[in-house]
Order: sequence, then C-alpha cells, then structure tokens
Amino acid sequence: MDTTGRRQRTEVQADVSVVRWLRSALFHSYLRRFVLLWIAGKIANAATASAIHLSPFAFRPGTEIVLLGFELGVIVVFIKRNNEDVLLGNLGLRLPAALAPLAMVHFVLSALLAVLAG
Amino acid sequence: MNAPILTGDSITLALGGNAILESAYVDAVAGEITALVGRSGAGKTTFFKVLVGERRPTRGQVRWRGERIARPSLPLLARKGLFYHPDRPWLARHLTFVDHMALSDKRDWHQVAESLGITGWVQRKVGSLSEGELRLTELAVGFALQPAVALLDEPFRGLEPLHREQVAHALRSLAGNGVAVLYADHDVESVRRTADRLISIEGGATRLVEGFKERPLHDWYHAWPL
Repeated sequence: MDTTGRRQRTEVQADVSVVRWLRSALFHSYLRRFVLLWIAGKIANAATASAIHLSPFAFRPGTEIVLLGFELGVIVVFIKRNNEDVLLGNLGLRLPAALAPLAMVHFVLSALLAVLAG
Repeated sequence: MNAPILTGDSITLALGGNAILESAYVDAVAGEITALVGRSGAGKTTFFKVLVGERRPTRGQVRWRGERIARPSLPLLARKGLFYHPDRPWLARHLTFVDHMALSDKRDWHQVAESLGITGWVQRKVGSLSEGELRLTELAVGFALQPAVALLDEPFRGLEPLHREQVAHALRSLAGNGVAVLYADHDVESVRRTADRLISIEGGATRLVEGFKERPLHDWYHAWPL
C-alpha cells in the first residue's frame, strides 16, 4: 500500500478495455458456458425443426433471437447467483456491455452452421 | 472536514409497509474512516444497497461530490471511483487473485497484496480459499483498484485477530492516502479503534455520534446488546 503520501486520485477508477475484457479468463469462462448452451439450444431446435419438416440447421432470425435470449438469460442467472455482477460492477462493466460479444458469437456460429449444413 | 464524496441523503425505504430506512443519512469523506454501526437488521446492508443502486429508495438521493445521481448503479459509481464490498462473496471462484487483477489496468497490486498478507495465495483459485483468506482477497482486489471511496459491508466478518489488524491497518493506510472509507460493522470496540467518525443506525434512522472514542459505550448507545 502506498504510504509515501496522499496520491492524486482520478475520477475514473475502473477502466476495462474491450480487448482486455475479451482476453480475460472471466470472459473466456462465460464464453465456454455460452458455447455449451448454444450447442444445447441448437440440438433442441434442430429436433423441433425436423419434427415439422423444416431444415434443422437453417438460419431463421426469429428463432435465433429466441435462442439467444435463452442463452443470455441462463448466463445472467449464473452470474447473479455467484454475485459476479458485483465483480463486473466494481470494474465499471455493465452486464449488457460485458455480454454483448456473446450475441455476436451466437450469430456467427449459427450462420456458420447454416452454411456448412446447407 | 473535507467535503463528502459519496452521500446518501434523507434516504427512506419502505418494503411491504415496513420502513427499513427513515430519512437516513450517511456520507464518505476523503481521508476519513466512517463507520456505520448498528445491530443486525438495523438497516446497514440495505443502506449500502441503496447507495449502489441495488435498491431504489422511496425517497431521498445519492450524491457524488455533491452532484445528484439520478439512477445510481455500481458500474456507474465504480467508473467515478467507488469500490463496493458487499456482505456476500463476490469474486469469481474459478479465478485467482492475479486473474482478477488482469481484468483491470492496475498493475500496482503487489504492495496491497503484501499489506493484507495474501501473497501466499495470489495464484490459488478463489474457490479453494478459507473464509478469512477470501475476505482478505476480496478487499485486496478492491484496494488495488485504487478507489476514491471504499464502501465496505462488514469487512472484518469472519477474520482472525491478526487478519482483523491487517484490514484495520489497510483501512488506515487507504484513508491516509486520501480515500474515503465507509464501512458497516457491529463490533463497537473495533470501530472505536479504527474509525474517525461514527454514524449509528437503529430502526432505519441514523445519527452522527460525537466523541465516541472517549465516551463510555452506554453513554451513546443505550440499546446496544452487550
């Protein structure tokens, strides 16, 4: 601890850049869980689509938004249950901003899968 | 006395018809350690939750350097310089202290780790730490963020005497560096040794207690459960 004198303290304490956040072990742990949820959601969605004779892995925007909402909802519950929203808050990070990259991951993976399966 | 940095003014909060806070006031002043003291259920934790926006008050306002914050939230206040230590574990259990510090651009955490005596476990996952080790690690993360205000809900809870002294020393060091420390506690003797100012809370109402270091306990807090 600095005991050499009174430090000048800036108004901005927390400063987590996007790059730092995307490279962090915490974001990576959310990303791993999110990908598992995406896989689970895709399997469930493919089974439902097949049952009604639709292409199982086609990119349907409405369905993708519903799936994304479910995946993010589970992640948010997980974060809040572990009080990690306090950790993010102390770093100056709002939950929507912290999780926004995961939405992009969802759409990229789903589009990629649709192309590969198409 | 310096001007307060963080202020909760005339805060009233009613839940289900019960008043939890009644025109309560608290502030955090640069370079001073302020203790919010009251028994369990007096409203300390709720007051802190109002300050960081976890609870919306029925009436009253939160101010930062005199400016009213319309919708306080922890991320907003953290960007201004607040560190909030709630009464529940809040670090990521699967990460180490070093992993947590990698989230911030603050690299000067070694002194903080040494002063709080956590250097022996900075590379251990938080989930493997004892309650006391965890508490110290949480405080070290917050202090290493170099806050302007440290808002600490029961920072001494679950600590052994040696660790309590380390935390008290760290609080005094923070205040010596110009940080406004505001913490909640119910251990009056500890408060007497550590705090510069004391605000008591009882039944959701607060009052500033003058001369608490000198006056006998029963003189200023009749209802205290000894």
